[in-house]
Amino acid sequence: MAAVSGEFRREIEAIGEVFAFLETFADGQEIDEKTAFCINLVVEELFTNMVRHNEGGGDRITLSIERRNDRLHLELVDFDVEPFDPETAEVPPVESGIENRRPGGLGIYLVKKMVDELKYDYETGDRRMRISVTKTLEN
Amino acid sequence: MFEIKRDENGTISLHGRLDASQVDSARAVFSLVTESCEVDFAELSYISSAGLGLLFGTQKKLVDSGGGLTLTNLSPHIREIFQIAGFDNIFEIA
Repeated sequence: MAAVSGEFRREIEAIGEVFAFLETFADGQEIDEKTAFCINLVVEELFTNMVRHNEGGGDRITLSIERRNDRLHLELVDFDVEPFDPETAEVPPVESGIENRRPGGLGIYLVKKMVDELKYDYETGDRRMRISVTKTLEN
Repeated sequence: MFEIKRDENGTISLHGRLDASQVDSARAVFSLVTESCEVDFAELSYISSAGLGLLFGTQKKLVDSGGGLTLTNLSPHIREIFQIAGFDNIFEIA
């Protein structure tokens, strides 16, 4: 079992530091390429969603990642924000042609499709939002 | 790192990782696209919804005027993202 956590600036530009953090973890755990791609995308979508939709929140977002056997557990925590449950996000009409598609709405949809489990909770006392996901290694 | 180039034939080549922090540099090139062209993914290792959204917006503009993007050399991981997003219904993927 291995676990690491980090704190990141609540800015889109901090995503490069987030990727470096994930890469260090993936290299140390010999995570396969497909799973590494997947966790990069999942974390980017959740992180950027927090940055964009929680204006006025705290200046840091925390990210934790832990490996338990063949499963990865990731958790992002945003502080001093309004609640936003990803389960309520609109599902894009992915079977439709371009005439019936609109821009946006893909990030959370991709996350849900790529992980085994997504959990959300919100604590009203300190206005803390926590999103955790579980992903089984591909190989 | 991310880099985008357009050659004399109009083909756009994407290199590196197209994430949310890099999408503005890609937008600067795609915003100039006014007719059908090829987008070469051979050197692109990563794309997220930020890049997908940019491609979608460009495609929408071109389709409205009778054209479209042709995407080539997608890696298996990126192709899978396109399939999940339903973008294989929207783009010509060679």
